[in-house]
Amino acid sequence: MRYVKELKYGFHVIFHPFNGFWELKREHRGSLAAALTFVGIFIMLTTFEKQTTGFLFNPVRLKDVNVVVDILTVTMIYVLWCVANWCLTSLMDGEGNMKDIFIAMGYAVLPMILIRLPMIALSLGLTAEEGTFYYVFSYLSYIWTGLLVFFGTMVTHQYSFKKTVLTCVLTVLGMAIIMFIGLLFFSVIQQMITFCTTIYKEIRF
Amino acid sequence: MKRKTIIVLFTVALTLLASPLSVLAEVPYETYNYNYYSECIKQPHVYIYDETYTFKGFERPLKNPRDMFVKGDLIYIADTDNSRIVKTNTKGDLLMEITTADGKDDPLSKPQGLFVTDEDHIYVADSGNGRLVEYDERGNYIRQIGRPVTDLIEEDTVYVPQKVVVDNDGRIYVTAYGINMGLLEFSIEGDFRSFMGAAQVSVSPFEYIWKNYFSTKEQRARMATIVPTEYSNIFLDSSNFIYATINNLTNADMVNGADAVRRLNPTGKDILRRLGNNPIIGDLYRSEDNKWSSFIDVAATDYGCYFLLDNANGKVFAYDYDGNSLFVFGKNGNREGNVMNAVAIGLSPDASTIYILDYQLNSILTFSLTDYGRHLLDALRLNDMGDSEGSIREWTEVLRLNSNNEFAYTGLGKSFLANGEYKKAMEYFRNGNNKKYYSKALYYHRKELMEKNFGKIMAVLAVAILVPLTVSAVKKIKRWAGEVKCDMSKN
Repeated sequence: MRYVKELKYGFHVIFHPFNGFWELKREHRGSLAAALTFVGIFIMLTTFEKQTTGFLFNPVRLKDVNVVVDILTVTMIYVLWCVANWCLTSLMDGEGNMKDIFIAMGYAVLPMILIRLPMIALSLGLTAEEGTFYYVFSYLSYIWTGLLVFFGTMVTHQYSFKKTVLTCVLTVLGMAIIMFIGLLFFSVIQQMITFCTTIYKEIRF
Repeated sequence: MKRKTIIVLFTVALTLLASPLSVLAEVPYETYNYNYYSECIKQPHVYIYDETYTFKGFERPLKNPRDMFVKGDLIYIADTDNSRIVKTNTKGDLLMEITTADGKDDPLSKPQGLFVTDEDHIYVADSGNGRLVEYDERGNYIRQIGRPVTDLIEEDTVYVPQKVVVDNDGRIYVTAYGINMGLLEFSIEGDFRSFMGAAQVSVSPFEYIWKNYFSTKEQRARMATIVPTEYSNIFLDSSNFIYATINNLTNADMVNGADAVRRLNPTGKDILRRLGNNPIIGDLYRSEDNKWSSFIDVAATDYGCYFLLDNANGKVFAYDYDGNSLFVFGKNGNREGNVMNAVAIGLSPDASTIYILDYQLNSILTFSLTDYGRHLLDALRLNDMGDSEGSIREWTEVLRLNSNNEFAYTGLGKSFLANGEYKKAMEYFRNGNNKKYYSKALYYHRKELMEKNFGKIMAVLAVAILVPLTVSAVKKIKRWAGEVKCDMSKN
C-alpha cells in the first residue's frame, strides 16, 4: 500500500511543486519505484500516442513509427538529463543526490501522462476547426512539465532562481557533451573491433 | 524424316512461346504523381504516345513553330521561322496557308502566337511587325491592331506581341516581350484599354528595409532586381477565364511554392484554386540535370482540369479544378515519343488526345488517353456535372486499376459524403489522406452519433454528476449524524 500512496503523492507534487518536491526529498514521501513507474507509463504513452492519435492530429506516418527508437529516445533523454544534472550539481553545491534527481524528474512527467492520455481519445472526436483545443492542451502539458522540471531542480538542490536557470542551461550543454563523448567512444570501439578482426583474419590465412 | 519434322515442330512451338503474342509498344516515359507526403508515386499510363505529325507532305516543312491552336480536328500552327500561319487537320493535309497581312507587299514576320475564335476568325500575334492581325475563316485579311497608344509603355520599348487570346465578348488580351505589367487588354475596336492581371510583387518588410537603407550601391546593383514576373503563355477556357503561365521564376520562388500558373477572371484577379497538398509548380524537386519545371503553355478542359506543359523537362502536368495533382507524364529525349523542345499543348474536344508542338522537331506529337485515364477524367467530369452515381462508378474503376490513387479515395469519399454515408466517407478520406474532408465527414458523423445516442449520453452524464453528489451528500449526513451522536454522548 505504501507504493500506491507514493503514486498518489504525485498529484500533490504537480499541484504544489515547492512543498511537494521538498517532502519528496526530506520526508521520503515518494520513491524511485513510483518515479520509474511514471516514466515507464510515459514511455508507453508516447509510443501509444503515435499510433492511436486521430487522423487529423497525427503528423506521424504509421509506416515510419519505430517503437524501439521511441522507447530509447525517451529513456535516453530522461537518463541523460538526470546524469548531466547530477554531474553539474555535485560541482555546484547541489544538495540532491542521484536518486533524488531521478525521483524528482520522474514525478515531473506526471502532467504529461494526465493530459496526453485523455487527449488521445479527444483527438478521435475533434474536427480540424476545433483543433485549437487539442493544441492548447498539448502545449499546456509541455509547459507544465517544463515548469515542474525547473522547480524540481530548484527545490531538490536548494538553489536560487538564477542559479537554477544557469543549471538548466548547463545541463542541456552537458547532455550534448555526454552524447558527443558517447558517440566518439562508440566509433573508436567500432574501429578497434574492425582492427582486431582484420588482424585475426590476416593471421588465420 | 519423322524425327526431323518433330524437331522442326518443336522449334516452331518454342519460338511461338517465346515471342509475346500481342506486341505492346513500349512507352518511352513514366507516368507518376505526387502523393500527400510529396513522394513520387508511379501510376498507370494516362496518356500514351500515339504518333508524330511531321508534315513532310508540305511544300515547305515547318520551321521552328512557336504556337498551336487546336480546334476540333483542325490544327492551326504559327510557323514562326517561315513567317506564316498554317491550318492543317489531323491527317496532315495543308488546308490553308497565310503569309501576308494586307496584300502581297505586307508579309507577316515571325508570328509567335495565334488564337482562333468561335467564328473561326484567326488572330495572329505578328511579333516581328509589332502588331496583331485578324483574318476571317477563309483566311481573308480583316484588320490589324498596332502598338498600344499609352504612356505606360516607354517610347523606346520595342513592342513584340507574343501570345494572344480573344474572349467571348471580343476583348483581346496580349502578352508582349519585356512588358511585365500584366496582359495588354484591347477593346473590341482594338483600342488599348489597360493592363490586366499584373503579376504581384511581394517584398518582405525585412528585404525592403535592407535593400533601401542598409545596403551599399554596389550591393544593390548586385542584388537581383525585384521585378514582377511576365506571363509566358495564356489560354482562354470555356468560362471566359484566362489561364496564364509564368516561367521566369527563381530557385527561391520554386522552393517557396511560387504561383507558376494563374487563372484570371475578367477583372484580372487570380482565382485559381490551390487546395491541393502540394504547390502547383510542376515537379516538386529539381530534375537530375538540376532544372525546375518551366511552364510554357497550358490547356484546360471544360470541367476545370488543366494541363501544364513543362519546357525544361518535356513533361505534362495535369491538375484538377481544386489544384490537386492528377498525373505527370512525358520526357525530354531522342526516342520516339520524347520531345526536344516542347512549346505548345492542345487538347482534342473530349481530351482524348493531347497534341504537343515541338519547336526543334518541327512536328506535333500526339498522345492518346488510356482506359485508366478515361475513367479518371470521366470521374472528374461527372463529379463536376453533379452526377454522383456516375462518378462513384468511375472512381471505383480507377481504384481497381490503381489502388494507390489517393485522389480516387477522396473522390469516392466525396460521393459518400454527399450521400450521407459519413462513416464510409471518413474511411475513404483517410485512405486518400484528405484531412479537410475527413474533418467535414467527422463533423457529420459525430452529429449523427450524438443524435442517435442522445438518451444514452444524457444518462451517462446524469450518472456521472449525480453519483458524486449523492456520495458527498451521504457523507455529510453521516458526519452530521456522527456529530449529533457525539453531542448526545457528551450529554
